[in-house]
Amino acid sequence: MLELSHLTKRYGALEALHDLSFSVAPGEIFGFVGANGAGKTTTMRVVLGVLEADSGSVIWDGSPITFAARRRIGYIPEDRGLYPKMTVIAQLVYFAQLHGLRRKAAQEASSALLERLGLADRAKSQLQSLSHGNQQRVQLAAALVFSPDLLVLDEPFAGLDPVAVDSMTEVLRSEAAAGKPVVLSSHQLDIVERVCDRVGIINHGQMVASGTVDELTERGPLRFWVDAPAAGAGWYDSIRGTSLVEQDGSRWLLQLDDGADDQAVLRAALATGPVREFRRDRPALTQLFRDVMSGKAIDE
Amino acid sequence: MNSQALIRVIAAREFLARIRTRVFAITTVLTVTGIGAYILLQAYVFNKSATSLDVGFVGTAQSISAPVRAEADALGETIIVHPSASLAAGTADLQSGTIDALVSGSGASTTLTTQSSVDPTLQTALNDQARQQVLTEYLTQHGLSPSDALGQLNFSVTVNELSPVNAARVEQIVIGLLVAGTLYVTMIIYGQLVAAGVIEEKSNRIVEILLATVRPWQLMLGKITGIGLVALVQVVLVAGVALVLASATKLVSIPTLSVDVVVSGIVWFVLGYLMYALLFAAAGSMVSRQEDVSAVALPVISVLVATWILALTVAAPDPGSIGTTVLSFIPVMSPVIMPVRIAAGVAPFWQVATSVVLVIATIFLFAAIAGRIYRNSVLRVGRRVTLSEAFGLAPSGKPVV
Repeated sequence: MLELSHLTKRYGALEALHDLSFSVAPGEIFGFVGANGAGKTTTMRVVLGVLEADSGSVIWDGSPITFAARRRIGYIPEDRGLYPKMTVIAQLVYFAQLHGLRRKAAQEASSALLERLGLADRAKSQLQSLSHGNQQRVQLAAALVFSPDLLVLDEPFAGLDPVAVDSMTEVLRSEAAAGKPVVLSSHQLDIVERVCDRVGIINHGQMVASGTVDELTERGPLRFWVDAPAAGAGWYDSIRGTSLVEQDGSRWLLQLDDGADDQAVLRAALATGPVREFRRDRPALTQLFRDVMSGKAIDE
Repeated sequence: MNSQALIRVIAAREFLARIRTRVFAITTVLTVTGIGAYILLQAYVFNKSATSLDVGFVGTAQSISAPVRAEADALGETIIVHPSASLAAGTADLQSGTIDALVSGSGASTTLTTQSSVDPTLQTALNDQARQQVLTEYLTQHGLSPSDALGQLNFSVTVNELSPVNAARVEQIVIGLLVAGTLYVTMIIYGQLVAAGVIEEKSNRIVEILLATVRPWQLMLGKITGIGLVALVQVVLVAGVALVLASATKLVSIPTLSVDVVVSGIVWFVLGYLMYALLFAAAGSMVSRQEDVSAVALPVISVLVATWILALTVAAPDPGSIGTTVLSFIPVMSPVIMPVRIAAGVAPFWQVATSVVLVIATIFLFAAIAGRIYRNSVLRVGRRVTLSEAFGLAPSGKPVV
């Protein structure tokens, strides 16, 4: 279990992190989203120990994280963090050795990992000769080669095509399934929504919302899409606590106040004729994210 | 995993990544060729003068063949005397190359004939002996004993040195400068490689991954060690070629290129490189782009260049002077200046030992300073790190040790 507790970090006048707290359980993939400069990378660097917070603490398995524990973190930094002119295999062996593996074990682990990630035929290639997607896979391999206890990944999906995203997702899922907490940041909210068990939205160094994707999207008002081709204007007027948000052809988006009966809405719709769609409207994470960025409050 | 093992892993990567590069191959070939060419040139010049001369003596000239040979011998040149039956026979021998020179006539009419150039030693000896022949005749004609008169000339002028200098020969100075120059060039090249290596890791963020695993000082020390080993391989290769060539060509005339000069050169290289590599590493950690390296490395390079200029202008002309002695004790200059004094044979052991101790102390001082700058700077990407930030005096963004 990784816990970040009340982290604060200032760069001169800029407050990069303000009382930031969250936790990631074993086997859980935690997605960290926020605009540029929101504090994602700073948070990850604090976890890694390459940056020191002004106050607050990072707790690993119940006690403040140590250097030894940090050496067991698999890390992908923002941008590339590899030697361009080294071969893929030499690079992995090097990182494995730095994490304490003996040379032979490091070689075996590196070969096995390249096999698993489908990069075995590129083992002897210089990193710079690989495509962006393959370089990012090597970056992931470098983070996994020493069998870390925890994964911290800063923008791991940046610049990847959908196929590469899927293969990386698969690897992350299996790492999480092995009981490791995984923390990742991303701009690609659709990916985060798909990959992560829980999501935290950070803005100006503060965690403004966190929870499972379902929890987050349920926090908005209760809204339903109703597709009733035969319905005329104001067909819902008789139902208490119901108002129109928008109308798109025969589709109506209705908002229900607290205590309003959704089944009454359905019955009213059926009374007008056929109903083709009756669906709870969940705002996509993207919408939620925009709301947060534009300053709309999300009630916790 | 202990520090030593980590540093070894880091150093091994640095070593292997660099020893295979074209830069290494080219600089090694160039230096080895340069040193080799110098030694072969020396050997050629020396051997030419050391080869014996075959000199033909015709008729009356044969009477001075023995004293000419003796005098030439004293001047360090071997003459093999060939009595020639006649001028014609001697000239024929000269033309066929059997002999190098032909002496004919006697006294004031003594003639030296050669194919092209005249050997100056032979000419001097011949002049002396012909003049003595004439003088002896003259003294005898005037009733004086030639042996008494010539006995009067059997003296040398008295030499007084008001401030005696253990004069180094030109060869010794050249050898000293050769050693010092090799060290100077190698320290500049490899020092800048250290700076470039630090910037490489910084600019592509590898340093973030590395520092999540190893301590900054371990990373810095590993890098300096690895690159230093590459430099050491080059220096030892050059020194080895120099020693092998020197002994193969039996360069007895360069006793100064002895094993102890070479070995002390290697020791000075290790010390000097460590001292400067620390400064170059610290300088490199303060910038994020390779283009900016010259700006931060300039102060370090300036000290090295100034030292080399002083080696050429102060140490080389007079390795034994007070000025040179003082310079050789300044730690940042010792690795370049001291080898010049050692090669000239004017550096007493206690002075060498003292300056080694001073340099080692300086290395520890620089390690502390460079370690601090590196630790505070290496994770600050973007603009150049200010000195107050580098020394950890600025309050913001303090990285963890």
